[in-house]
Amino acid sequence: MAAGLGAGGLYAVIGVCLVLMATLTRVVNFSQVAVGVYAAFLAIRFVPLGVPQWGIVIIALIVGATVSALLGWIIATWLPEATATARSALTVAGLLFFLSVSYLQFGTRPQPLIPLVSGPLVSFGVVTITKLSVALIVLAIVLAIAAKLVLTKTPIGVQLRAISDRQTAAELLGINVKVLQVGAWGFTGAAMALAISFAGNSQAANAGVMVNLIIPGAAAALIGAFKRMDRAIVGGVALGGIQGLLTAIPAINLLRDWIPILIIVIFLLWSQRKEVWDVAR
Amino acid sequence: MSLVNRSSRTRRVGLPFLIGLIALVVAVGLGFGLPAYTVFISTTVLVSMVALLGLGVVTGTAGMISLMQLTFAAVAAWVAEFLAIRTPLGTMFGSFSFIVIMLISALAAAVLGLLVGLPALRLRGVNLAVVTLGVAAAADATFQKISFPDSWTNVRMPRPFDFATDPAGDRSFFIFTAVITILICLGVYFLQNSRWGSSWKSVAFSERGTASAGTSVRWAKLTAFSVSAFIGGISGVLLVAQISKVNYITFLPISSLALYVLSIVAGAHLIDMALFGGILFVLVPEILKQFKVPLEWGNIVFAILGVQALTTNTNLGEIARTALFRRRRKRLGLGIVEKNLRPLGSGELIPIPVGTGRTLLAVTDLGVSFGAITALQGVSLEVTEGSILGLIGPNGAGKSTFVDALTGFLPQHTGAFVLDGTPLQGMLVHERAQLGLRRTYQQDRVPPTLTVGAFVDFVTVGKADSAGIDEVLEFFGCPTASTPISVVDVGTRRLIEVAANVAARPRLLVLDEPAAGLSHEEHIEFGQRLRLVPDKYGVTIIIIEHDLDLVRSVCSTITVLNFGEVLASGQQDDVLSNPRVLKAYMGETEML
Amino acid sequence: MTLTLTDVTVSRGIGPVISGVSLTIVPGQVTTLVGPNGAGKTSLLESLSGVIGVSGGTVEMDGADLTKMSRRLRARAGLAHVEQGRMIFPSLTVRENLQLTARTNEDLDEALALFPELEKRITSVSGLLSGGEQQMVVLARAFAAKPKYLLLDEMSLGLAPVVFLRLIPIIEQIAKGGVGVLLVEQFAHLALKIASDAMVITSGRVSYHGPAADLLADDTKLKTAYMG
Repeated sequence: MAAGLGAGGLYAVIGVCLVLMATLTRVVNFSQVAVGVYAAFLAIRFVPLGVPQWGIVIIALIVGATVSALLGWIIATWLPEATATARSALTVAGLLFFLSVSYLQFGTRPQPLIPLVSGPLVSFGVVTITKLSVALIVLAIVLAIAAKLVLTKTPIGVQLRAISDRQTAAELLGINVKVLQVGAWGFTGAAMALAISFAGNSQAANAGVMVNLIIPGAAAALIGAFKRMDRAIVGGVALGGIQGLLTAIPAINLLRDWIPILIIVIFLLWSQRKEVWDVAR
Repeated sequence: MSLVNRSSRTRRVGLPFLIGLIALVVAVGLGFGLPAYTVFISTTVLVSMVALLGLGVVTGTAGMISLMQLTFAAVAAWVAEFLAIRTPLGTMFGSFSFIVIMLISALAAAVLGLLVGLPALRLRGVNLAVVTLGVAAAADATFQKISFPDSWTNVRMPRPFDFATDPAGDRSFFIFTAVITILICLGVYFLQNSRWGSSWKSVAFSERGTASAGTSVRWAKLTAFSVSAFIGGISGVLLVAQISKVNYITFLPISSLALYVLSIVAGAHLIDMALFGGILFVLVPEILKQFKVPLEWGNIVFAILGVQALTTNTNLGEIARTALFRRRRKRLGLGIVEKNLRPLGSGELIPIPVGTGRTLLAVTDLGVSFGAITALQGVSLEVTEGSILGLIGPNGAGKSTFVDALTGFLPQHTGAFVLDGTPLQGMLVHERAQLGLRRTYQQDRVPPTLTVGAFVDFVTVGKADSAGIDEVLEFFGCPTASTPISVVDVGTRRLIEVAANVAARPRLLVLDEPAAGLSHEEHIEFGQRLRLVPDKYGVTIIIIEHDLDLVRSVCSTITVLNFGEVLASGQQDDVLSNPRVLKAYMGETEML
Repeated sequence: MTLTLTDVTVSRGIGPVISGVSLTIVPGQVTTLVGPNGAGKTSLLESLSGVIGVSGGTVEMDGADLTKMSRRLRARAGLAHVEQGRMIFPSLTVRENLQLTARTNEDLDEALALFPELEKRITSVSGLLSGGEQQMVVLARAFAAKPKYLLLDEMSLGLAPVVFLRLIPIIEQIAKGGVGVLLVEQFAHLALKIASDAMVITSGRVSYHGPAADLLADDTKLKTAYMG
């Protein structure tokens, strides 16, 4: 269960980023985790150069923001009025790209990522809650609150919400849609880089396995209907917890891998039970 | 004209078989002529081509994102190995056991496709992408744990007809794979040109248009996905027979991603481009291996090509096709195809149809609200069977909202619709269409990826034969059935939409501003034809129009909507001479 | 300093939707475009603000070629387009809608002063307002941007007559403040009352261009344009 909470915190962060991307830039960002992984892996290349750990994190943040913003810039420039499907398809190509570049640059072996926090925080007899799991859950909450504050209390946030309501109308008011959307991409890219830096090697081995995290992350986002960050956090943590609990039961070892996708399916069945027609299509 | 169409149709049916035969001959030649290693990787090219053909159906034709094509292959491969090695099925049918096993395994993949598609393929967009990626990852983890049957007892997957696994057997297997590939190509070709294919192209273009043409959107998407799963399964069985031993690394999720991106780049819904994609998929890693370049570069190249294809909204296949097509059309002197509404020339005046006196549609106290905004309130009217009713009123009066509610797009409305004694309450859009309620749209919802004839066949759900289709097309001055809609101008597409819906012989047809793309003379000709429709085809019409001349020329009764309520309703003369109607149009109110 | 259209044609796939439009919008005056639906008036406005392109003719705003500018730059240069259909941002409050365009608090207060009814709804989410209130928000938002030229597309659409009557004098007031207003309306009489210049569009072509007063005095031209 405890190990599950750590994973759950990571799922929650990914879920929050996916919800932000979906509401602000009309996209399911399949490359979300891959961008963060690439940034984190690239940053630790600077460890042998004697850069202190906080410096490594800064580098990861910058790389994550830049690389994600680049992808967002491509989409905002060439597919500004395209459907969410077309835009998401491009992030699939992005996922393939970043995953392959990661393998190329860093190889297929586990990376020497040092988690930012480690060690136990508190124990309840058999169950131990690690500092890492708490840190990740806190990170998810902080991100969600920060995003919420920006979106509701700042002029930029009002503009971002206007864009996600009606993009053309926003443009006609003189709002710089491209810059704001690219900014949103940069924010989630940096957030992801930070989360991976926190998690270190606790979660997985090579780039490919880490990138698989997009799936439970998407499950968390789906629990929030790709709209609500708070529900995504709760969903992600719960998902991690359930997975952790099930590890203790070796009999259903196989089923454990299918928990995220089953949750996705259940939520889809529930949320789309009535036939509702979109305005355009 | 029908004779010409018939012979061109025979050509269309005969030509693919001829091409298939030629391909077979070429394959046999290559199979015995090329060096052994080339034959081996050519087999892999064909297997990849089959996988891409499957993807092409779901992504290129039906416009969805599927990221688990290799998982279908893996599932079928696993089932095939299990049946061949662990059950008597491996030898029960003698030499043909392999084919039986292959079909069963592909069916298993198709069943998985159905299970995955059912929750994922409702109305809105990107869910399938998320679900397929999730299933691919989970399946990958499972295959890692349970591994494939060939590794349980170290028995290899047998090949069809007991071909050996030496180079000589490789050649025979290559030809076997070529035969299967050609059969799949023929299957895909005929499916794409059937009503299934039309439903896929329609759903990719417009979900609303598909439903109001009587086809369930969900069913169309499910068939596309299941077919792609089946074909993916075939590719998996072929692969495992080729290399005899597989494991989870053969079917990694990242390879499914690469395959998806490649299908976008190549345009895999075009059969020749699927072959090209297969060649790329195999050749690029081969070349990289030769030059000792890391294989990841192949995926990077595919990804960049994918970004390029998506941002320019083209693919290699389309670029090649358009270039050739444009040159051919220029040579033949063909341009954009337009309508041809010649005068009907009967000389006598066609009377406005007044109908049988029986009520076909009864609308009672219809109300529609969007939040705090009331779009329609207390709307009641009756449409007489066999007549044409005009629904008019200023912009924003609620006419389009009325049609949307009637055809089932606004299930939350209050009030009732009764069509020919059947209450429409609770019926879905495509169910109402199948019941005999059709509509056309203000916006263009005619898929340019179909031919005129295929579109009409799709809208009539196959009920009209080709002679009937030709007749309706000619009646409305539309281009011939074999014309691709992409070369037809938008005003004519509107006419084709009207013709197709008339050909479906609905009880009631709602036309939403059908004359918008027509010139003044064409308005008159169109009106003449409309007057004939109720008697000739048994169709009652509601027409929404701004051109009051046209309304005057075809409608016996008129209902005027203003601010969401019925302002006036009755015989044409009474309504149009009502001073309140004139005022409503020009903005005067009682207050002034 | 004017907004000048010279022989403008706008096409929409079907072919030209409206053609041969030559018009000058002068700050401080209301020009009105009337005519039945499908006539192309909305397409003309959309081509001015950049939602779609101009396929023929020229458009100059204060001497600069408008067609070379992006939608955002046209807005920044002082062109405000109030689209058909009450394009509020439904998840934003009334105040937030106004904050998008008002550069200072004074501008925002000035815009609100035009519509006292909105004061008590200032923190309401705009998606829940009535049609009339939403139209006021949209108009206030455009005014708060302090535009030089204001394009109004069918503000009466779906509004109760009482509400629309309420808005007409406000448009007059805005124009008197120095804004060049182009008012597109299907409800001709109400628009003509506040306009100085009038143009009637029938089937995509200009069927009348002259002083609005003349058109008001003689009804026949309007009647033929609308009822055929």
